[in-house]
Amino acid sequence: MKDVLTSFAGWGVNVAIALTALRTNLMRSILTTLGVMIGVFSVILAVAVGNGAQVSVSQQIATLGSNMAIVVPQPDSGSGPPRPSDRGRLTERDGQAILREVSGVSAVAPQIRSSVQIVTPGRSATTQATGATPEYGIVSNITASEGRFLTQSDIGSAARVAVIGETVANKLFPETSPVGETIRINRVPFTVIGLLESKGSNLGNDNDDQIVVPITTLRQRLLTTATQGPDDVTLIFVGFEDEDSLLSGQKEIERLLRDRYRVAKGKINPFTVRTTTEIAETTGEVTQIFQAVLVAIASISLLVGGIGIMNIMLVSVTERTREIGLRMALGAKRSDIRNQFLVEAAVLCVIGGAIGLSLAILAASIFERVAEFPAPIGLDTAIMAVAFSAVIGLVFGGYPAIRASRLSPIEALRSE
Amino acid sequence: MTTPLLETHNLVKDYAIGGEIVHAVNNVSLSISRGEFVAIMGASGSGKSTFMNMIGCLDIPTSGTLLLDGIDTKTLDSDALAEIRNRKIGFVFQQFNLLARTSALDNVAVPLIYAGIGYAERRRRAQDRLEAMGLANRLQNTPAKLSGGQQQRVAIARALVTDPLMLLADEPTGALDTQTSLDIMGIFQKLNDDGITVVLVTHEPDIAEYAARRIVFRDGQVIEDAAVKSRRRASAA
Ligand SMILES: Nc1ncnc2c1ncn2[C@@H]1O[C@H](COP(=O)(O)OP(=O)(O)OP(=O)(O)O)[C@@H](O)[C@H]1O
Ligand SMILES: [Mg+2]
Repeated sequence: MKDVLTSFAGWGVNVAIALTALRTNLMRSILTTLGVMIGVFSVILAVAVGNGAQVSVSQQIATLGSNMAIVVPQPDSGSGPPRPSDRGRLTERDGQAILREVSGVSAVAPQIRSSVQIVTPGRSATTQATGATPEYGIVSNITASEGRFLTQSDIGSAARVAVIGETVANKLFPETSPVGETIRINRVPFTVIGLLESKGSNLGNDNDDQIVVPITTLRQRLLTTATQGPDDVTLIFVGFEDEDSLLSGQKEIERLLRDRYRVAKGKINPFTVRTTTEIAETTGEVTQIFQAVLVAIASISLLVGGIGIMNIMLVSVTERTREIGLRMALGAKRSDIRNQFLVEAAVLCVIGGAIGLSLAILAASIFERVAEFPAPIGLDTAIMAVAFSAVIGLVFGGYPAIRASRLSPIEALRSE
Repeated sequence: MTTPLLETHNLVKDYAIGGEIVHAVNNVSLSISRGEFVAIMGASGSGKSTFMNMIGCLDIPTSGTLLLDGIDTKTLDSDALAEIRNRKIGFVFQQFNLLARTSALDNVAVPLIYAGIGYAERRRRAQDRLEAMGLANRLQNTPAKLSGGQQQRVAIARALVTDPLMLLADEPTGALDTQTSLDIMGIFQKLNDDGITVVLVTHEPDIAEYAARRIVFRDGQVIEDAAVKSRRRASAA
């Protein structure tokens, strides 16, 4: 216990010595710290942006809806680029079959997607139209913030009605509420019945730049290219009651569709079934790689900062050789001298790290406000930053410190 | 007979200068007992400082034996030598060697840091020593604000703060005027009267007369080693 206390007292002395030495060469200390500061700043910011990307991606996936499978009539891209002959079909009847025969399915939402041109007197916009059924709202958690969403009777009567996203609404009706107004979609007049609840944007992808119309209306009025059959769809969202039924349901859907399209044994699926869980995993991996690359690049500047520390510590040791000799004459052991310079380097780094961290927090909050992109800096990141800079100090201060401690007392004393 | 404080046998220190070997200290055998006051004299380059540095454990002999308090220093590692410098030896230098921008009090406390003494105790002991040197009202002054004599007194306080057995002073009065030099010699005499062994190097015969024993070096060898006749006493301040 006494040992711990005296060694702790020893460290306190070293911090005091370090602060005196650093104050003596204030300008030089500041410039050296600047290197570490910039390094820590960029590493923290890189971590924050990477975290932000992950948050953004999971939000994006959350906007898709949870416990959901997406069925598209393209063969699994895992087996190479799809050829036109591989292209399968997907129909509303497939959707009904899935609802009927796959266990745990709560709703199916067949959709046709098409790019459309919308015109109002004096304004126009190009956006993506989703031809959907009311189930689309249930499965992907979409509601109307104003007016109403699609109803079954809209589908039955192939009504010329549209629910439009906020971005589209702002383009076409910057001043007034769009609900009740008439718009022309690909020259066909539609009535706006509702405004989609905003889902914001993630990673530059604007979730509010879209409109939803009845699937029947889109098929009859807006499709420019002919489909293979009367009820072909672009994709089907399948909502499940819980995660367990989603997991088993994915296989069941594949089996059912292979049956329905009589796919011979050994041939690949002409369709793909993806679950939101899978999507979350793969995009999570991608953003993790993105973050790792970012942090790796930023680390280079930290490395440069560390080399700056080493440089200045070598100068400091040379300048203070006589002081080192004196301290040895007065009884300093090699370890005392080594620790003195290690602490000096660590103090430089920790100060730089703390300032770099503060600047990174500031920059991240500005970034969040200006770019509307989350860049969270957690306590763990902050602790990591300061610990990291102390480690830089120990690593890059280590060589100069050991060199100082190996000096011969008499040669050090005689120097100058 | 008790073991001498310091004993050397055939002590040698060689330096290689441009391919030639210089015997800075050449086969010196002598012993110094507790309580002695020794002055080392000799022409410039005769090896006085080299000898002092070896007996102060700052430098390592090329050959020969050095016994300190009966311990052969060859058997000691660098940590043990540091501990001897810290506990048993106090150094006083010609150029004082105080830490700049550091108060007298903190300068005197430095050896206590390496002795593992806590902050409050360090300050207390350093203050006691400075007061004994008549510097009670200079505790917070930095060296730049002290006269040469005051600086040397701070250095002596620092050398004494760990209660060493022996003071080693290489030309302690070399940078001081005559009157101040005499004051410093008075301090050394008083410390010696109190039991501390003092070894000092000087060029000045007058200064050497304050010691009790005089050793003269020439070309790295001892050519004279005798008691000082008609020893001078400083009227202690
Ligand atoms: N580090 C060294 N490298 C090479 N030669 C040295 C070194 N130190 C001392 N010498 C040589 O050793 C000899 C003795 O030097 P030393 O410093 O011991 O003399 P000194 O008696 O103290 O002289 P002075 O009275 O001028 O201080 C001299 O010839 C000197 O040139
Ligand atoms: Mg000398």
